[in-house]
Amino acid sequence: MEYMEEVKVSRHTGRLAQMWIYLGKLFRMFIFQSDWKVLPMSAIIAGLVSFAVGRNMFKTMEGTAMGTFALSCVCIWNGFFNSIQSVCRERAIVKREHRSGLHITSYVAAHMIYQAVLCLGQAVIIIIVCNVMGVVFPTKYLTFPVPYLDFVISLFLTTYAADMLALFISSVSRTTTGAMTVMPFLLIIQLVFSGGFFDLPQNVMPLTNLTISKWGLTVLCSQGDYNSLPMTSVWNNVLKMKDVEIEGEKPILELMVKIEKDGRKEEVLMKTAAYNQKEEYRFDPAVVNECWGWLALWIVVYVLLTVISLEMIDRDKR
Amino acid sequence: MDNSELLFNIQSQLVPKLLNYVLLGIGYMKIFTKCGVKGFWAWIPVAREYHIALCADREKEGRTYTILAAFGYAVSLVSYILQNDGISQAELPVAMIVTLMAFTLFITMLVYLTRIYNGLVKVFNRKKFWVPLLLVLDSIVAPIWGFSKKFQPTKKVVLETEADGAKVAGVDAAVVKDGLTVNIKDRTVIDFFRKRYLLKDIHMSIPKGHMVLLLGGSGAGKTTYVNAVTGYEKADASIVMDGRNVYAEYDRMKYKLGFVPQQDLMRSNDTVQLTLMDAASLRLPSSVHRAEKRKRVQEVLEQFGLTAVKNSLVEKLSGGQRKRLSIAMEFISDPDLFILDEPDSGLDGVVARSLFEKLRAIADQGKIVIVITHTPDRVIDLFDDVIVLAKDKTRTGRLAWYGPVQEAYAFFGKNSMEEILLSINQKEEGGEGRANEFVEKYIDYTKRKVG
Repeated sequence: MEYMEEVKVSRHTGRLAQMWIYLGKLFRMFIFQSDWKVLPMSAIIAGLVSFAVGRNMFKTMEGTAMGTFALSCVCIWNGFFNSIQSVCRERAIVKREHRSGLHITSYVAAHMIYQAVLCLGQAVIIIIVCNVMGVVFPTKYLTFPVPYLDFVISLFLTTYAADMLALFISSVSRTTTGAMTVMPFLLIIQLVFSGGFFDLPQNVMPLTNLTISKWGLTVLCSQGDYNSLPMTSVWNNVLKMKDVEIEGEKPILELMVKIEKDGRKEEVLMKTAAYNQKEEYRFDPAVVNECWGWLALWIVVYVLLTVISLEMIDRDKR
Repeated sequence: MDNSELLFNIQSQLVPKLLNYVLLGIGYMKIFTKCGVKGFWAWIPVAREYHIALCADREKEGRTYTILAAFGYAVSLVSYILQNDGISQAELPVAMIVTLMAFTLFITMLVYLTRIYNGLVKVFNRKKFWVPLLLVLDSIVAPIWGFSKKFQPTKKVVLETEADGAKVAGVDAAVVKDGLTVNIKDRTVIDFFRKRYLLKDIHMSIPKGHMVLLLGGSGAGKTTYVNAVTGYEKADASIVMDGRNVYAEYDRMKYKLGFVPQQDLMRSNDTVQLTLMDAASLRLPSSVHRAEKRKRVQEVLEQFGLTAVKNSLVEKLSGGQRKRLSIAMEFISDPDLFILDEPDSGLDGVVARSLFEKLRAIADQGKIVIVITHTPDRVIDLFDDVIVLAKDKTRTGRLAWYGPVQEAYAFFGKNSMEEILLSINQKEEGGEGRANEFVEKYIDYTKRKVG
């Protein structure tokens, strides 16, 4: 066995080659294990969300805020589920392989590529399902002159950032139960601290920069041209008071009927919207770039943390 | 903040805390002395939390409580600074996080402290009502316990000193050109304020072609020894394999040292052939062509009797097949030193015997095979030598024997490996507690042998 002699002098499989080995393993796992299920699962979730909040998405301010928030949450949910168990379920195996020469960077890089493919698939699935469910996406674009591409990138980055956060959690958890216990806390933090959907005290707002949901929500609102949409909640709330009588008359009802007769309802809706525009949601490539930049930054941070935590895997007790 | 405000803050916050710390320190110091722990630990923050747990015979809880206490001190410091400097609007999120952390930390610490004080009450043979008293008024109750002669522990903390350990030979084994030379001076860890010796004074030379049994009770340092020998966890040692220093050339040598863990750590959803192919890609040099790797995989499949199941998923394999695959994964790079941790666990006698015969065949190819097993007697005829590791009185792993199997029986005056194990195991483990005796006897034996 000549090559056995070479062991003494030759270089062993480098990082790039190792990454390919693990990538192959991950895609085999996708087929043979239940990992493929994340794709139909994302379609089901996207369908349910579109059914519940898709009707007014990109049509009114409220519908857009609610719908894009729900879409961000879908992305985060998908991302978390993609990888929350991926490292911790094979932690002991990784430790053994690290002992035999596995480079952690190769292992993490393989996960990054594999998860990127999954996240991209999920982003495309969300767009398709939303379309099928009757959600009309804006035709205007901010960055790339290709229909839907801006949205696909935003959904992908949001999903991928959540995915990398879950990968990090998975890399520090010793068991799948541990990882799954942490996940709801992370979801709640993302939900509450998005800063867009729930009103938070002004001095807590800096904390929202730490969440994926904030950047996912902001970029989708910006791409959906939130500030150009009519606001219906004021009109609808006033409408609820249409039967209020003042000195035997119904002035609110009369006013509303008059506005509608004059064909100025849309004007009123736009006027109320004008008072509720948000600077951070302006239809501007700079907003999109900033959000994408923040999401990319968090991806890098989570990947680095994953590598650092896994480099210490040898310290695991038996 | 002006001087009067500062003085007020010190008087109202710092002084009571300091007084509480001093009173508790005095109480703990006296309790520590009663329990056989050095009193000065009572004055060192974080360390005192661990040592009160030692007194309470709650070492495990003490470790967690100590870490929590370290965070507790840090959070207290931050909150003190925030309070005194006044909180600006910008600092409000930080203050909120600190408060939240402090609250959750407080609850967790309280739970652990309750467990520890429960233990203390038990050790001092007192009624349970002392637990809430200690929790609420520890700075008053602890000095009472410390100074009153009525409060005496029923159990003292046993802190082994080096003097309790068996004597040390300190004579290195001569380095052999063909084979493995192990000269471990010691392997230590700093474990919660104490330096602990995991292994000490282990010297041996194992010639090529030998199959060696690694025998030792629980905690005798078998895994530590294996990790030190393979360079995975470096000790203060010199490990030489075929004239090459394992530690100095670890990155290259690790491919020549195969270690098979006790558990079958493989991805269950991959096929046998692909598992081996990936192992070959990882462990063989990059210059080995894919065709050669495939050939090597086929050889190993054949050698370990896995050809018939090469396309099966790992999860479909029987226990014996899985074990053989786990070994094959390491054997793929044809290592010169092959170490297996309980390869027969979960296997019946016939399958285990067949597996050990395969290992014997590997040794006969000129390799060194070291095996840890808890049922050695059924396959002892296949081994050339035995390494006996024993836990001495300081709980340090020591070498009680290295040499031929038959001579080991004579040395220990026993007829089986299990009897040898019993003789060196500590009394609380159901053994004879003769570890120190045999470690020292072996030192004398080697000195006589070397002359």
